[in-house]
Amino acid sequence: MPFKKPVQKYNASINTVELGVGDKKIVLGGENVLPLYTFDGAIENAPKVGIEISDLGYADQVPGISGFYADCATIADMAKKAASIEDVDFVCLRLDSADPNGKDASVEDCVATAKAVADAIDKPLVIAGCKNDEKDAALFTKIADALQGKNVLVFSAKEANYKGIAASAGLAYNQKLGGESAVDINLAKQLNVLITQMGVAPSSIVMNTGTAAAGYGFEYVVSTMDRVKAAALGQNDASLQIPIMTPVGSETWGVKESVASEEDMPAWGSQEKRGISMEVTTAAADLASGSNAVILRHPESVAAVAKLIKELI
Amino acid sequence: MERKITFAIEGMGNVEISAIAGENILELARKANVAIDAPCSGNGSCGKCRVKLLEGSIVSNMTRHISEEEYAEGWRLACESKVGDSDAVIMVPDIASAYRSRMKIADLTDASEIEVFNNTKAEIFGAGIATGTKLRKVSVELTEPSLDDAMSDLERISMELEAQLGEPVVPTHFAVSRLPKALRVSGFKADCIIEERNGANVLIDVWGASEEHKLCGIAIDIGTTTVSAVLVDMSTGDILAKASSGNGQIRYGADVINRIIEATKPGGIKKLQKAVIEETINPIIRNMCASAKIAKEDVCRVAVAGNTTMNHLFAGIDPESIRMEPYVPVFMDFTGIYAADVQLPVNPNAELVIAPNIGSYVGGDITAGTLASMIWNSEEMALFIDLGTNGELVFGNSDFLMSCACSAGPAFEGGDISCGMRATDGAIESCTIDKETLKPTLGIVGPAGTKPIGLCGSGLIDTVAEMFRCGIINPLGKINVEGERIRTDEYGMKSYVIAFADESETGREIALTEVDLDNFIRAKGAIFSAIKIMLESLDFPIEVITKVIIAGGIGSGINIKNAVRIGMLPDIDKEFYSYIGNSSLSGAYAMLISEEARDKVTELKNNMTYMELSSNPGYMDEFVASCFVPHTNAALFPSAMED
Repeated sequence: MPFKKPVQKYNASINTVELGVGDKKIVLGGENVLPLYTFDGAIENAPKVGIEISDLGYADQVPGISGFYADCATIADMAKKAASIEDVDFVCLRLDSADPNGKDASVEDCVATAKAVADAIDKPLVIAGCKNDEKDAALFTKIADALQGKNVLVFSAKEANYKGIAASAGLAYNQKLGGESAVDINLAKQLNVLITQMGVAPSSIVMNTGTAAAGYGFEYVVSTMDRVKAAALGQNDASLQIPIMTPVGSETWGVKESVASEEDMPAWGSQEKRGISMEVTTAAADLASGSNAVILRHPESVAAVAKLIKELI
Repeated sequence: MERKITFAIEGMGNVEISAIAGENILELARKANVAIDAPCSGNGSCGKCRVKLLEGSIVSNMTRHISEEEYAEGWRLACESKVGDSDAVIMVPDIASAYRSRMKIADLTDASEIEVFNNTKAEIFGAGIATGTKLRKVSVELTEPSLDDAMSDLERISMELEAQLGEPVVPTHFAVSRLPKALRVSGFKADCIIEERNGANVLIDVWGASEEHKLCGIAIDIGTTTVSAVLVDMSTGDILAKASSGNGQIRYGADVINRIIEATKPGGIKKLQKAVIEETINPIIRNMCASAKIAKEDVCRVAVAGNTTMNHLFAGIDPESIRMEPYVPVFMDFTGIYAADVQLPVNPNAELVIAPNIGSYVGGDITAGTLASMIWNSEEMALFIDLGTNGELVFGNSDFLMSCACSAGPAFEGGDISCGMRATDGAIESCTIDKETLKPTLGIVGPAGTKPIGLCGSGLIDTVAEMFRCGIINPLGKINVEGERIRTDEYGMKSYVIAFADESETGREIALTEVDLDNFIRAKGAIFSAIKIMLESLDFPIEVITKVIIAGGIGSGINIKNAVRIGMLPDIDKEFYSYIGNSSLSGAYAMLISEEARDKVTELKNNMTYMELSSNPGYMDEFVASCFVPHTNAALFPSAMED
């Protein structure tokens, strides 16, 4: 009997979520096969690669990052430079300056920054907060208002602050919002249910199911995303048929493999190479586990991951 | 320097104790034997140990449980207060603790109080288990002694008994001490109470024939929160009296773990045994005997059902190993223990029939309850759920039985809930909420016109289900709406007012806070996840269950629709559910009046498989999924969204 290749195609599919406007807008999700399983069926919307910039600048980063932005005077310049990379599908602005335990920049200042960035680029924009629940809620609400019509993604709301963010970004100002949970399928689903119960359309939500740098308990990340996709496709679980976006760079550029200098760790070799390896490895693992988009920091990582995606899809 | 602290107990009088600066007020109260409710064992989390500073000063931390206004009035948490630089007079209110532990003597003219025992009796004996124990009454007529017939009383009665029984009898100290009077008040006609022990006839009591006596027994359920008991006529099996009371150990912590910790302190075992026997069971026995006009020595058999920790503490046996890996109790099946061993105020020769334990966290209350549930007598796949201070499950049928404990905590008995109480007078046992006005309509335990004091288990289930139905809470138990019944405290925590201050018995508002809701959702999540994991581990779908028997002291009943709505019980045909009240007490009652029932319980214990949920890799995952109303997978509860 001739070999017949079994095809694992599902009747259910992941929702599509559009980010941005105009020619450069992108679509996340839409697939009805497991992550990267193009041999089971076409993946119309290949996973997307975003680049992250911080409003605190990257002067203290490795040369490949700080050097790349060396000629940028403003955050808008940085955004323009980042968006100019061809492989970049979207730009993620991280408002680190807003952190109440840090610079504690005012909401107004952050709105101005976001506006400047949004005006400087034509690629879709993702706004990441400062990891302070209350401040993020205030930021996202104001920014969602200020950037009406740009179809930006505020990234992300958590169980503690989703209400205000969903009401403003998701309902009042027609933007997209991310739902962030701590590497647990049930918590991810619960947050999606809570957000959709407020009336936000599933096509306006992206999940951030949490990540870790590769090697830092990454098996939890894998099993969570695996199960999310299996439930979404295999059990037609509507509340999990939501594309996943994973912030990779902000995670990997903080671990010792990326921050230990070559002087301290001569046996480990070049710090920059290590950092890129960490970022690319983690991003590849996230994509294989189910991320529909990854956010990276180093231009070389962007190139490597974009190439990986192109060759697989 | 020594300070004098006076506890002014509302409605009880003053207790003085000397103390040194820095001593914790709650500890001091315990030392002075002043009962202050402290279910969290004094770590400042439950807010129930409220006391009021009347004179002098103490050093107290501010807590979220006391508002600034209340603080100014002198309210403090005992556990968060220390003796300061001066003497102090501290008022201990007669609210929480008293309402919790107040004894309730049942009115037996109300048929529903005895019905459950008659049902148990009919069912168990209908299943072919014979009634009758090894106790019997033998009447003797002796020739009166004379100068020519100078045989001693004991020889005289022993000879006669041996002649009647064909075997010698073994006297006991208590019986002999009663002998001279019993024989002489009734012209040497007497009734002898004889019990067969290990093949020997033991004379446990002697009654003068003209004296008024009735051979009685007592069945006791020792719950972590509530102790209940029935006094039974052993010749007929009739219930003569029924009473319940809060477990006096409650001031040492709401759950068994806190009790075990307390017991391991110096003198702790004695202290906890005293709290349950002298302070709780003894008054119950005295009251029941008084109301039925029975001499307490006529109680010649006592059946006790309680969880493993409770029966260890009752017997005065160190429970520490229950809490320590590998979680081995001192005993499972303990026979040959008598009333005198624990100084129970009944006939000192009365045997204590202790329902056997299955493991450290599934105890005699469950083995006795399983007997009463009758699930062992049918091929139907049945689930028996005991909603006690913890929550235990037994699943199976006549072929097999599996059990597990589900660490639900004490929410269903009013613990861990700021306005929680047990199902006594003043407890809100049912609730419906108007979707428009958010005004609740309450059903309250007690005579018509009784004002509410707090929520018992069934009222809690109803209230949360109604809050969810009316959109007051989201699936995480967070309050979603605004209105005159919604309060927000200075820490941003919201609460829903069930009864305003002027509507309640205590003059304090009855409200469910988001912390209460969180505790409750974890409790209901523990129950459902345990059910799901137990069935999954046996490879059964939930639909295999065609009978669910719910037991526990949660109120007069349980609104199944509401329990399903919040995702606590599986969404199967509501007709499959039934509520049997306190099954532990019913089981103890059966063990009291029937030796065969007692043997059956031991057989059930031997045949039941204990499953440790915490070692199941899927458990935590399912628990997180279940801590959502109704469930993270809403498809499991299609009827939850019906209005």
